[in-house]
Formats: sequence, structure tokens, C-alpha cells
Amino acid sequence: MELGIFNNTYSYLSEAFEKEHLKERSFESQSLLAKRAEAFQLFNLKGFPSVKNEDWRFTNLNKVFKEDYQFRKQEPAFSSSTGTIPGLKACKIVLVNGKVSPELSDPLPEGVSFLSTEAALAEEAYSGRIGAIAVQGENAILGFNTAFFKDFYVLHVRAKKLIETPIHISHHFTGNTEAALIAYRLLVLAEELSESTLIETFHSDLQAPVFLSYVSEFSLAESAVLHTHWVNSASEDLHLVHHREVEQFRNSIFNNSNLSLGNAAFIRNNLNCRLKGSGTETNLLGSYVVNGSQHVDNHTIVDHQKPNSNSMELYKGIMLDKSHAVFNGKIFVQIDAQKTNAFQKNNNILLSDQATINSKPQLEIFADDVKCSHGSTVGQFDEGAMFYLRTRGISEEAAKRMLIQAFVAEVHSKINISALRDYVSQLLQTKLERDNLIIA
Amino acid sequence: MLQIKDLQARVEDKEILKGINLEIKPGEVHAIMGPNGSGKSTLASVLAGHPGFEVTGGQVLFEGQDLLDLKPEERAREGLFLAFQYPVEIPGVSNMTFLKTALEEIRAHNGLPAFSAKEFMKLLREKQDLVEFNTSLVNRSVNEGFSGGEKKRNEILQLAMLNPKLAILDETDSGLDIDALRIVAGGVNKLRSSENAFLVITHYQRLLDYIVPDVVHILSGGKIIKSGPKELALELEEKGYDWLREVETTE
Ligand SMILES: Nc1ncnc2c1ncn2[C@@H]1O[C@H](COP(=O)(O)OP(=O)(O)OP(=O)(O)O)[C@@H](O)[C@H]1O
Ligand SMILES: [Mg+2]
Repeated sequence: MELGIFNNTYSYLSEAFEKEHLKERSFESQSLLAKRAEAFQLFNLKGFPSVKNEDWRFTNLNKVFKEDYQFRKQEPAFSSSTGTIPGLKACKIVLVNGKVSPELSDPLPEGVSFLSTEAALAEEAYSGRIGAIAVQGENAILGFNTAFFKDFYVLHVRAKKLIETPIHISHHFTGNTEAALIAYRLLVLAEELSESTLIETFHSDLQAPVFLSYVSEFSLAESAVLHTHWVNSASEDLHLVHHREVEQFRNSIFNNSNLSLGNAAFIRNNLNCRLKGSGTETNLLGSYVVNGSQHVDNHTIVDHQKPNSNSMELYKGIMLDKSHAVFNGKIFVQIDAQKTNAFQKNNNILLSDQATINSKPQLEIFADDVKCSHGSTVGQFDEGAMFYLRTRGISEEAAKRMLIQAFVAEVHSKINISALRDYVSQLLQTKLERDNLIIA
Repeated sequence: MLQIKDLQARVEDKEILKGINLEIKPGEVHAIMGPNGSGKSTLASVLAGHPGFEVTGGQVLFEGQDLLDLKPEERAREGLFLAFQYPVEIPGVSNMTFLKTALEEIRAHNGLPAFSAKEFMKLLREKQDLVEFNTSLVNRSVNEGFSGGEKKRNEILQLAMLNPKLAILDETDSGLDIDALRIVAGGVNKLRSSENAFLVITHYQRLLDYIVPDVVHILSGGKIIKSGPKELALELEEKGYDWLREVETTE
């Protein structure tokens, strides 16, 4: 019990589960309702995880709970910005406060379907997968989402389909006048030999604080290829707790980039990749540039369970002001996973005495014939480079910006969609222009 | 153009410059020679404004302005340029962005409008020809993976692009083969005018065959112990630094 946070939001949720929440969910199947009840039991017992919980040691959810959050009535709403990525030809799906906005969304190409809550829950093939990939175990955050999620979306890519146009899910949070809880989830099924790209962007207007619980479950069948990108450019009001669980079967390829370049006050991403087949490939890229009192925490797990799989992970971050970032990257190489190649690197630059980074790479190897390496660095700017730029007439501030951009360029340059790459560098530039980078 | 009076500087607790006096007029080329560790690069760094060196005494006037009051970037915008002995590699900063940003900052300071992309490319090509440095810079990071000679040529390319009033060349000749040396020296000679000046730091007479100096200074132990016409360099090369020590003790 002592590991949990039992605050007003918790009390509200404990009360609301039966009285309000379940009443709205009467259309759901018995099996789902049973799953929700079990999940609620876990959450009710454990509360939100506190810093006494090893996985939350450096990330204090009490920071988020300065407000008392509640689920608010969310009508499908219109958002002023649609989060379009200039120059990107994509099929857009717009979610506003977790509700799909059909008027703002594009039709999808043949071979891929997108289902919204009611349709998705009506099919046992989909609703049965809820919590089957991201297994809740003792995880109260997963329990919270399973118990309380209001919306459930499914993206299903059919076998052997090559979907060239990226699918862009744009998450918007807008118009909340009181501290709002929002909880939804996504299931992505990539069938055998399919190839597709999913871009997710997060946006918010300045409004009352939003606490978003987002769970996404991904299954990549044999030889499926899935490229995913998530770019967070939300403003201060967003507090995001995101859990993504990915299962990969034989010879599948999963690429993800996870970029926190906005001003969201709080971001916690868990990205777990379970490599359940041999010959898989997993590439995880991440960047975070944080300032003010922002808190960004990236937890990743790459779990090699079968032989001959390759994984590469590169996360780079820059911390300014009083910001706090956390990187926790675990690599497991299970006993069967011979001939694994697993690499992980996390590099950080601290630009202020008051900024914090907790970087913890972890490697647990149970097989003997493997190649693994990991490393984590925390540094400052190369003073030599700084001086060199300044002797060419470039101001200290501009030089700093150039070096920040250069530092994360190692990550961003690997994004293979040029319009997205441009969008990302524009976001970074906007962020850097707004912030005063001269630190005493 | 440049007046250095009794300049003293140290790094951490180590006194390196122990009273330098030097005056450079427009149109002149001055050479500084001297043994390893005598303070040549330190002098260059102090003039360029390196924050790691502390000036403990003396004065430097550049075009009548107190140079030591200015930040490194302000010195550059006023027309001071340092070609580094060891140019820094900056992975992730493209050479093009770097050159363009530098040029724009300096032009803006001088009240000149920004170049269009086309004008910039034209100037760049022209200057690349001048230093015969025709590798494509577009997709490369500043000095990253450049050979020693390429780094030095890149310094001279920047010099040509930024067109400073006073350029300090710190051992730009070391690491260059004879052809590259001729090209670099040829580039510098083409840039010479009655309006600008050069301070050339070198160990070798051979550079001074191409860039003929008006004055040669010998720096030893943080002081200029001898100055003279270009023949001084020849004498130094013949007699070596042992002769210097004699000079030092007799003076
Ligand atoms: N950052 C530093 N910290 C400590 N000592 C330094 C530093 N920079 C220079 N020095 C010392 O100052 C002295 C002068 O160095 P400097 O680089 O100016 O010599 P130099 O004349 O340019 O030599 P070279 O001909 O080898 O280039 C040397 O003894 C050097 O070790
Ligand atoms: Mg030197």
C-alpha cells in the first residue's frame, strides 16, 4: 500500500468506477467488463505509483497531481489547428480530446482499416486483444487505463499490403476549462509481410491541465515492417503517461522515433518491445529537449527472447533551466536469444546547474553468444566548438542553438521521411527561438 | 590597425604572455616565429577572445577600439579573424549553414543586407576557386572527417568568405604539402590589400617565401625578444633556436 499515491484524483476514480463509469459502458461485452473490473481492482489496491516504486524513482507523479483531475464530458470537438505536417502526403486521423473527428480525418487506402470505439469493441478479435499485449501484471498505470479508458481505436494493416502513404494520427487536446482526465488506447495490428508507417503527433492549446493516459499495443506478425514516429509538441498543459507495448514475431522490423520537442509539463513514455520471434530488427530513436520545469521520462525495454535479432537504440537529450529528464533503458537477452546484437546509447547535455538527468542503462544477458553494448554520457558543450563558432562572428546564443541542433541531429537525421524531418527541425527551431539560451 | 601594449596573460596559474608589444598597420604582413610553447597560439587565442585565458595586464587596440572589452563574436564582426592551428570538428553543424550564418552576422553588423541563396552560392564558388578547395561542402559537417590539409584550406576559405581586416594565421602551413602550401599562400596573397593586414605564425621560412612579411618577430618565453626585416627569418632558420637563447641572454 505504501508504494502508491492515494490522492483526491484517486478517491474520485475509486468512487466513479461503479457509479459513473460502468454505467456508460453497458454496451460492452461481459469479457471486457470483467477485464475492467480486474484492472480496477489492481488500481484500487495500488493507487498511482509513487517514487517508492522502483520504476518511478525519479518521476514523481505528485508533480502532476497538483490539480484534482476528473473525466469531463467530452463531445467531439473541433480543434483550431489540425497539426498538419507541411509537405507530407499522409492519411490523417484527428483525435480531439480522445474522440475521433471524422470531418477532419481522411479516408484510408485499401489494405488498412481504422476502427473507432464502438466498432472496434464490437469485434472480439480486437477487444479480446486489450491487455493481451500490454499485460497488466502489477502495473497500476496499465490497470488504470484498462479500467477507465473511454475510447479504443484499432489500426489494422492487412497481410502483404504495402501502404506507402503514412497514416498520421494527430492527437489534440483543447477547450478543457477544468483539470481533465482523458484515457484511451490504440491497437495496431500489422499482418504478415505488410509494410506501413504510422506518425503520431501530440498538440494542445493552452487550457486547464490535461492528464492523458494513453496505452498502445502493437503486434507485428511475421515479416511485417512498421515504421512509427511520435512527436510531442504539446504545450504546458499536457501531462502524458504513455505506455506502448510492441510484440514482434519472426523477421519483423519495427522502427520508432520518439521526440519530445514541445513544452508539455510532464511526459512519461514506456516503450517495451518484446522480440518473440527470431530474426527481428528493432530500431529505437529518441530525443528530448526540455526547459523551464518540464519533466520528460523515457523508459524502454528491448526484450530479446529468440535468436538472431538485432536491436539498436539511440536517445539524446538536452536539459535547460530547471528541467528534469529520465532515461531508463533495459535490454534483456533471454537464454534462447543466441546471436543477439543489441546496442544502446543515451547521450545527454546539461545546460544548467539546476537541470537534472537520471540516465540508467541496464543490460541483463542470459545467453552466451551475443554482442551487446550500452553506454550513457552526460556532458556539457564542447567549449572548443563554441569558441570556434564565436570567432566567426556567431553570437553565443546562436552558437548554442547550432550546437543543440547538431547534438540531436544524430537522431533526427535518421528520420527517413523528409517532410517529417523538416517539421521536426522546425519544431526544434521554434522551441529554441522562444527560449533564452544564455544561462549564467 | 592593431596595437598591443605590454600584454600579459595566463591560463590557470601559469603566466604565458609576459609583456607583448606589437604594432601592425594596414597593408602589412607580420610574421611571428618562435620555439614550441613560447606563447604564439596563446597570443592568437587572447586576441580572438578565448575565455580560457586571463589577461592580467596591458592593452590591445584594434582600429582604435579596446579589443579586450569585446566578446569573441564582436571581435570577428569588427574584422578580426583567426585561422586556427587546430581547427575544431563540429559534427552535425553543416559547413554551409555555418558559413552562411557567420557571413550574415558579419554583414548585418556592417549594415549590409542578407545574401540570397544564389548570391551566397556564387560567392562561395568564387572563394572555393581561390583556395582551390573544391570538395562539395554541402552535405558535410564543419571540419568533420577533413584531412589535416583540408582543415587548413577550410580555414582559408572562411577567411576569404568573411574578408576580415586583420587575419591571424596560426601555423596554417603545418600539415600542408608543398602544392597545398603554394595554393594557400597564393590565396592569401590575392586577398592582401592596402586595407587589410596579416599576422602569420609559423615555424618555417618556406611559407614566408610565398607570403613575404614586412616584419618578423621572434617570440620566446612569452616575450618578443627580437624583431627585424624578413631576413631575420632566414637567419633564424640557419642558426636555429640555440642562437635565440644567446640573443635572449645577451639582451
Ligand atoms: N589551456 C591551457 N592550459 C594549460 N597550459 C596551457 C594551455 N594552453 C597553453 N598552455 C601552455 O602555454 C604555453 C604556450 O602554449 P602555446 O600553445 O601558446 O605555444 P605555441 O608557441 O603556440 O607552441 P607551438 O609552436 O607548439 O604551437 C605552453 O607551455 C602550453 O603548454
Ligand atoms: Mg601554437
